[in-house]
Amino acid sequence: MKFYVNARYLIVPFMSLIAIAGILIGGSFAWVGVALFGLNTIIDTLTKNIHLPADFDETGESYGIKGFQYAVMFLMLPVFIVLQLVLAYRIFQYTSLTPIETAAFLGVSYEVGTSGFNLIGATLSSGLWAGLGIIYGHELSHNKKEGFLVSRLIMALSGASHFTYAHVYNHHLDLGHEDDAATAPRGRNIYAHAWLSHMGQSRFSYNLEEQRLSKRGSSALNFDNRWILGYLYSLPSIVLFVWAGGLVGVAALFTVWVVANFLLEALNFMGHYGLIRTEGPVEHRHSWDNDSVFTSWFFIEIGRQCDHHVRGETYFWELDDVEGPNYGIGYFSLFVLTLIPPLFRVYVQKHLDNWDEKYASRDEKVIAAQFS
Amino acid sequence: MLNLFKPRSADFKVSLSDTETTFTVKRGESLLSSALSAGIKWPFKCKVGSCGSCKCQLIDGKIKAQLDFGYVLDMSEIQDGYILACQSILRSDIRVSVHLTK
Ligand code: FES
Repeated sequence: MKFYVNARYLIVPFMSLIAIAGILIGGSFAWVGVALFGLNTIIDTLTKNIHLPADFDETGESYGIKGFQYAVMFLMLPVFIVLQLVLAYRIFQYTSLTPIETAAFLGVSYEVGTSGFNLIGATLSSGLWAGLGIIYGHELSHNKKEGFLVSRLIMALSGASHFTYAHVYNHHLDLGHEDDAATAPRGRNIYAHAWLSHMGQSRFSYNLEEQRLSKRGSSALNFDNRWILGYLYSLPSIVLFVWAGGLVGVAALFTVWVVANFLLEALNFMGHYGLIRTEGPVEHRHSWDNDSVFTSWFFIEIGRQCDHHVRGETYFWELDDVEGPNYGIGYFSLFVLTLIPPLFRVYVQKHLDNWDEKYASRDEKVIAAQFS
Repeated sequence: MLNLFKPRSADFKVSLSDTETTFTVKRGESLLSSALSAGIKWPFKCKVGSCGSCKCQLIDGKIKAQLDFGYVLDMSEIQDGYILACQSILRSDIRVSVHLTK
């Protein structure tokens, strides 16, 4: 049981390595990372009706091994760095006009040089898998000092180091309020949300630092400002891509960051879309759960938002179903729907109606009525 | 130096200064979660170090802060020994003062 509980959360590390191998092998394999996303969407949709509870032994102890899960999360930092390095290597070959030919390494044949088309595949693959850094960046933002720094570094690879502070000090505190940039109000589409939420969290993070430093009598403009420091953590990526390919490198890194941040904000969007909280503590009803089996294992239970927002200190492998609002489908399937806003609005309406009727408090119902 | 050879106790003891209450905190567990498991009505809201509801004053002993308290507590509070229970791991037995919920 211990093996099963711990191994099931290794899908992303395993698939990230396949995406990296695809870029290294080159040719049409550069698209493997994109293809895996398609495959995952199919698996997620086919298994949408399987929901499993968290696993505990007869004494109520979780089977999750903390040391192992932390080691995996920490090791994902070098994996994401390698993902950027292999993309930079392909960009370098493309911009230095390396001839496209086949070679072999330890019996595995790979393509030296790359076409522009396959470079697009490598860039999109990198963006999609870098975007999954959020699941580790998120988990580590809640636990222990060392984890907090690793979280910041993982997020910095996608130019989003501000996330770690904004998530803890803004999203967890102001969930469901207008001042939480990461909660999408009813009627907003995912594209608008991605931009507004990203900028809102970054602004919050800057203001937070400004206030902290002013309490100490320091100016916001110094290297002790963790908002500035967070963006400086992204500097090595910028230098690498400029060096590897000049403008092409910048365009590729920009694409990686846009795709990665879009995925991050998609998770925020799906986790709380249209939910409202008036005064009082955060309760299960202020989040949507996405806990179909593939989503749970792939996204290391980040979809168990209802439990997470009430027990923010709880490790992901201990989060459980708390019978909160639930879309009934996994993140991959729902993500596809969000990409087509009119379709998403139709799909989500019945869930919102159900929320208004069964979950909302009297005051929350009043606010909800203003949206209809 | 001698401390290296001292057996490491598994748990630490917390005494609440305003009452006679004591409870134990397992190594690595937060002060708040141990207090709640012991049935103490410790105030809390977010459990992630962002709301400040769980703050208490450390009178005696050592803790390790898991997050920077400077975002939630004032400088003067920090100087007076205020800590966030949800983000405090114990490093010794401690004595704290806290306003418990009714
Ligand atoms: S419970 Fe919110 S800061 Fe501790």
